[in-house]
Amino acid sequence: MKGLLKNNFYAVRSNVKVFAAIMLLLGVFVVAMDNDVQTLINGYMLLGMIGFSINAMTSLRKESAGKWSKYKLTAPIKRSDIVKSYFISQLIWLFVGMLFAGVGLSLSILLHGYPFDRNTDILMLFIVGIGISLFMGAIFFPLFYLGGEDRNEVFLVISLLCGIGIIMGLATAVNIFFGPHMTTLQVLSGAAIIFACALLAFMLSYPLTVGIFKKKEF
Amino acid sequence: MEHILELQQVSKTFPNSGFTLDQVSFSLPYGAIMGFVGENGAGKTTTIGCILNTVAKDHGTIKLFGKEMLDSDTDIREKIGVIYDGDNFPPYLTAEQLSQVMEGLYTQWDSTLFQQYLKDFHLPAKQKIKSYSRGMTMKLAISVALSHHPQLLILDEATGGLDPIMRDEILDMFLEFVQEEDHAILLSSHITSDLEKIADYITFIHNGKLILTASRNDLVYHYAVMRCRESQFLALDPDDILAYRKRDFQIDVLVPDGKKAQKKYKDVVIDHVSLDEIMLLLVKGERV
Repeated sequence: MKGLLKNNFYAVRSNVKVFAAIMLLLGVFVVAMDNDVQTLINGYMLLGMIGFSINAMTSLRKESAGKWSKYKLTAPIKRSDIVKSYFISQLIWLFVGMLFAGVGLSLSILLHGYPFDRNTDILMLFIVGIGISLFMGAIFFPLFYLGGEDRNEVFLVISLLCGIGIIMGLATAVNIFFGPHMTTLQVLSGAAIIFACALLAFMLSYPLTVGIFKKKEF
Repeated sequence: MEHILELQQVSKTFPNSGFTLDQVSFSLPYGAIMGFVGENGAGKTTTIGCILNTVAKDHGTIKLFGKEMLDSDTDIREKIGVIYDGDNFPPYLTAEQLSQVMEGLYTQWDSTLFQQYLKDFHLPAKQKIKSYSRGMTMKLAISVALSHHPQLLILDEATGGLDPIMRDEILDMFLEFVQEEDHAILLSSHITSDLEKIADYITFIHNGKLILTASRNDLVYHYAVMRCRESQFLALDPDDILAYRKRDFQIDVLVPDGKKAQKKYKDVVIDHVSLDEIMLLLVKGERV
C-alpha cells in the first residue's frame, strides 16, 4: 500500500506543483483584496478543495499509459488495495485543498475582518467543497474502471458536474425541509446531512469500484 | 519431478475477437528455463495473463508453487518477477523513485542490489523513465524483476528490444539465475536463437493451441527435417511425420527422431533442424 501511495503522489506531483503555485498567487491576490465581496474568498476556497481533488484523479490517466496498470497486478498487492490507494490519495489531496482554503480564509479574516453574515457560513463553505470532492470521487472511480482509461477526461467532467448538481440538490432539499430562516442548529444539521451523504457515497463507491476492478482484464 | 508452474487444460475465449486459448497444458520444473514460442497472436501473452491473473481463465487449473494463485495470495506474487515487453513502469518516475515505490510493494525489495543493477546497466537513476530508450526500459524491467529476489521469472517478449550484445549478457544472467535449484524461468519469445541458447524446454503454441512441448536437447539432437521428393514422401509411414511443408521441388518433413528416420529411409536427405524451422513447419506446415 505504501508503494502505491508513493506512486500516486509521484503521478500528480508535477501537476500539483503548478496548481499549488497558482493557488498561492491567487491566495496572495485574494488575501490582499478587501473581503467585502465574499465571492472572491468563496471561489478561492472551493477552487482549492475541488482543484486538488481533481489533480488526484488525473493520476489514473497518467498511470494508464504503458503497462503499469497490468504490471501492478503481478505485484504482491490485492486489487482492492490498488483501488483503496486511489481513494486514500483523493482524501489526502482534499485535505491539502482544505489547508489552502483554511489558510487563505484565515489570513483574509486577519487582515480585513470577518466577511460573512453568520458564523456557520464558513462551515457551509467547507461542507460544499468537501461534499463536491467526495461525490466527484464516488462517481469518477467506478466510471473510470467501467468505461476505460480513454474516457478519463469525459468521466472527470461528468463526475464534477454530478458532484456540483448533487450538492445543489441536497442544499435545496435542506432549505425546503428547514424553511427560509434557519436557526444555527438547523444550519449545522443541514451541513451534517450533506456531509454524511457525501461521505456515505464515497464509502459505498469503494466496494463498487473494487467489484468492477476485480472483473477487469489486462 | 516437482514443478514450479503447472497448467492443466487452461482455456480462455475472448468473445469480441473470437480468439480462444484452447486447453493449454504444460509444466515447468524447478531449476529449468522454458521457452514459450509462437507467432504474434498465438496466445503467449494470454497464457501468461492467465498465469498471473491479469486475465481470468474460463477453465482449467494453474498452479504456482503447487498452489492455485488467488488475488489474495500476495505471498505467491512476492516470489514472481515479471517483465513485459515495452513500458512496464510509469513514465513520470525516475529509477530512484521507482525503487521507493517498489520498496513499498515488495517485502524483500533489495535497494542495494537494484542500485548495483542500475550501475551495471549504466542506467541513470535520476532520469525520468519516459526519456529512456526501449533497450534501457527493458534493462530497468530486468533490474526490478531481479531486485526482489524472486524464484520464478516470467518474461513476455522481454528480450526483443535489446541489441545482440546486451541480449547475450541478459541471457547469461538468466542462466545464472537458474543455478539456484528452486528458481525457474518462463520466457516467451519469438527470437528462437535466444531460446536455443538457454532454454531447457521449448513449448510451441499456435492459434491458441499447444502444438508441441519438448526438451531442447530432444529438439536439437533428435528432431530432424527430411528433404523428400514427392515419391519419397508418399512412401513415408504417416506415424513418422509430425508436420510437412511442400516447397518448390521438395517436401520438408519434420520427424521426432532423425537417427531412426535415417535408418528407415536410407535414400532421403535428413538435416538437423533449428527451432525456427520447427516453428515454421509446425505453424505453416500440414499434419497427416
